Amino acid sequence: MGKKITTVILALGILAGLFAGCTGNGEDKNTLKVAVLESAYGSEMWEKIVDEFEKDHEGVTVELVAEKNLEDVIGAQMKSGDYPDVVHLATGREAGLTETMIRDNMLTEMTDVLEMTVPGESVRVKDKLIPGFTDTLATNPYSDGKTYFAPMFYGPCGLFYNRQLFIDNNWELPETWEDMFILGDKAKEKGIYLFTYPTTGYFDAFFYALLASAGGTDFYNRAMRYEEGIWDTQQAKMAFDTVNQLAKYTEPTTVSNANNDNFLKNQQLVLDNKALFMPNGTWVVGEMADAPRAEGFEWGFMPLPAFNNGDRYSFTFFEQLWIPKEAKNPELAKEFVAYLYSDEAVGIFAEAGAIQPVKGVSADLKGDSKLFYSIYDNGAKAVMGGFAATEPVEGVSIADSLFGTIDSLVSGNKTLEDWMNAVKAASDRLREALK
Amino acid sequence: MRQRGQKVFAAICVAPALILFLLFVVYPAINIFRMSLYRWGGYSANQTFIGLENFRILFSDERFYRSFQNTILLIVVVTLVTIFLALFFASVLCRERLRGKSFFRIVFYIPNILSVVVISAIFSAIYDANNGILNSILGLFREGSPILWLGDRGLIIYSIAIAMIWQAVGYYMVMYMAGISAIPESIYESAALEGAGRMRTFFDLTIPLIWTNIRTTLTFFVISSINISFLIVRALTGGGPDGASEVFLSYMYDQAYTNSSYGYGMAIGVTVFLFSFLLSGLINGVTKRDPVYL
Amino acid sequence: MEAVQKPSLGERLARSLIWLALAALAVSILLPVIWVIMASLKEKSEFYGNPWALPQGLYLQNFVDAWEKARMGSYFLNSVIVTALGLVFLLVLSLPAAYALSRCRFPFRKGINTLFMGGLFVNVSYIVVPIFLMLVDANQLFGVSFFINNKLILALVYASTALPFTIYLLSSYLVTLPYAYEEAAYVDGSGYFRTLVSIIIPMARPSILTVLLFNFLSFWNEYIIAITLMSRDAEKTLPVGLMNLMKAQNAAAEYGRMYAGLVIVMLPTLILYMLVQKKLTQGMTIGGIKG
Repeated sequence: MGKKITTVILALGILAGLFAGCTGNGEDKNTLKVAVLESAYGSEMWEKIVDEFEKDHEGVTVELVAEKNLEDVIGAQMKSGDYPDVVHLATGREAGLTETMIRDNMLTEMTDVLEMTVPGESVRVKDKLIPGFTDTLATNPYSDGKTYFAPMFYGPCGLFYNRQLFIDNNWELPETWEDMFILGDKAKEKGIYLFTYPTTGYFDAFFYALLASAGGTDFYNRAMRYEEGIWDTQQAKMAFDTVNQLAKYTEPTTVSNANNDNFLKNQQLVLDNKALFMPNGTWVVGEMADAPRAEGFEWGFMPLPAFNNGDRYSFTFFEQLWIPKEAKNPELAKEFVAYLYSDEAVGIFAEAGAIQPVKGVSADLKGDSKLFYSIYDNGAKAVMGGFAATEPVEGVSIADSLFGTIDSLVSGNKTLEDWMNAVKAASDRLREALK
Repeated sequence: MRQRGQKVFAAICVAPALILFLLFVVYPAINIFRMSLYRWGGYSANQTFIGLENFRILFSDERFYRSFQNTILLIVVVTLVTIFLALFFASVLCRERLRGKSFFRIVFYIPNILSVVVISAIFSAIYDANNGILNSILGLFREGSPILWLGDRGLIIYSIAIAMIWQAVGYYMVMYMAGISAIPESIYESAALEGAGRMRTFFDLTIPLIWTNIRTTLTFFVISSINISFLIVRALTGGGPDGASEVFLSYMYDQAYTNSSYGYGMAIGVTVFLFSFLLSGLINGVTKRDPVYL
Repeated sequence: MEAVQKPSLGERLARSLIWLALAALAVSILLPVIWVIMASLKEKSEFYGNPWALPQGLYLQNFVDAWEKARMGSYFLNSVIVTALGLVFLLVLSLPAAYALSRCRFPFRKGINTLFMGGLFVNVSYIVVPIFLMLVDANQLFGVSFFINNKLILALVYASTALPFTIYLLSSYLVTLPYAYEEAAYVDGSGYFRTLVSIIIPMARPSILTVLLFNFLSFWNEYIIAITLMSRDAEKTLPVGLMNLMKAQNAAAEYGRMYAGLVIVMLPTLILYMLVQKKLTQGMTIGGIKG
């Protein structure tokens, strides 16, 4: 009996072999596996980059994988021990694959890439980058001075609005939170709500900038490292209070659409003049390009209002690129990363609208993009990074406690007190797990 | 001689199915139990044995309790309403003389053949707060701000329940129809001769005669509610707002994949498994009746 | 309510209420389905308006885009192959097993039955990753790569995970068949296998059809296992492709293409269901009379 079954299983196995087709990718020293997230910029620019890189590096073959659901594709492959050499996938995505890589120490250190000379040029990578981009928790997740992520396409985040609406109503753009809420009352008389947000996930950039404007960059960095008592400070209280007040000025249907499938409906509120401001990033313009809009609609963009006479801040979002620790070909991968900062590569990316933090790139921009990238020239201060990496803590997530709860503030199901307590509790647990 | 032959025959019949079942269902399930005792991020090679630590955390995890409550509420509401509707429509379509019976039968089953992704897309349009069909119809009768079907923490679970019931009625109706059409016509004829009305026939004849059928489906309800609620929540609300629609498996996925706590996720899986097993056992025991012989 | 020869007032009232209930459910089902089909014919700009408005024209480009650009065409073929193979495996495995478990006497029968029953509680959604890790180990053990990205293996996993439900359904039907037919066959000198093939299987046809229908739908619509075991683009199935389309819709607002994808996924199930439905109904009534 047993023998028969073994035979059957073996037969099935052989049959399975027939269906599998041939794979057998040789472990070639000259093959570079590049996996990138196909975002709004499209995958064409990556194909061009790969072509140019292969042209300059004889004998090198680049296998490019560009997918919208990159986590599903490489996640499965990585579990089976098949790692790409270079991955372009930022933190803050729903699947959190990049965060897992940080928590599990599965990244190759890239500090030496900064010292490398850009292929075909005579400058170091470090000298091409805009200062500050490699000093953040988003590139040095363990805050030990070592860089694990290459900063790629960046963009300022802040408040988006309809410029025409302000002209029509003779409204001044609010520069402080006080003005902001006065404007909120004025707008309400016209049946327009002051505020909406796509999903609570968009509060990350918003809240980071808010913390910085309440207490400065140093305070912000301490909060990002879950410092003890930080949420009890006067500055933190100011930030919490502001969001709580903003919740009362938020368009009431926002909460029902604040998820990944329906967030466009919330963005539409701004286009339809039903809400004045929303926190967002520069990609929103492309995202809503085909949407109908109020007559004369024109995108406006500003940093967060200041507290009293303080500074105004805008969070700078950037995508990250990394090399897995298990990469088969780390040296070639680093060469590829250095190449991405060459004038040639920077030009290819910029053509598709993807802007790297390289000196001099934003000077050539036109139209809306010029407006967005120029806010730092007009006095706004930049804030970068995000929460420090921790060991995984079962059942605790700072994003859920700090941002997710805002939905309940708006719908009135939770109070300011509940929110602050939830943040403090999560922060305490995560501090113990800091790397 | 016959007895022996039958044993060999039975072994040959059962063995292939049993082996594949052990390989692809039992073994992976055992692995879930094993991994629930470890701490593991999901990718790296370091798996740390931590005993029952994951379960200890589980019992003080507020968010787990919320997903627990939501799941139980969904199981109860969806089961009761669906059984009622499915039995009603099954008996109507089997017993009544009506035009277009096969049309209704075909139409009612349609939601069950749709992918959950399609269903979520449909209900997202129905529940839309500003121009969804539900609020536009209700707007004719009531004033004031729109109802937030997917934004109100109190409502959202029922909104999901409605989508689940919509999806399930046809399936269970077909299951019950199979049972009802197996009841000999002569029994109904004699009942009619005794002057039994529609209601009495339904409660005194139909339900007792397909009781085994109903009991079977109760087990299905428990299992499929846990699964379908996960698939719908994932596509429709993503567990939001602020975790208000989180259910068992969405929380398990959240922990195992997004929060890099694979072992903890598996501990949730184990708890869900044991829970559904016990609940089904309980239901099975409570609903036991002496079978009705014809 | 009295049962009388001519319809009384109460009888007529009851009938209209029944009719109303039937119509309400039918509308609640048909309307949204028609809405999806309508949405698949809309141009991009129409999606920002009223979602219940009629399409302004037949914008079939959505389907061309979905079929070619989003590769739904090749995913479609994959889905057909996997579903068909899965159903064949399932029947070959489950019919003899269900027969033996419901009608033969042998040791451990009760234990095996309980084991399969227990399998009903094992949700596919949580054993996927252990299955995947097991297949990965198998790849490494044999030094091959055919356990992953393989339609045959995927079909086998589908069939195996569907076994508890299928055996349960078939057994509960087989157990109701009278023993007289088998006895007669044995008396005629027919062996066990011949009895199974020529007596039992024809009699069990209605339940086999039910099983086929249910499992066709679950294999066709399944995506959790497929997304895990088929990471290579060329091997993806239709629902996984649809999920890609949904992601694309979020990034570039390709609503029309997405709804075209939805229609491509649901149309085959709708058509096949209409065809099988008739046989299923017949099967049910015939089975009923015999039982």
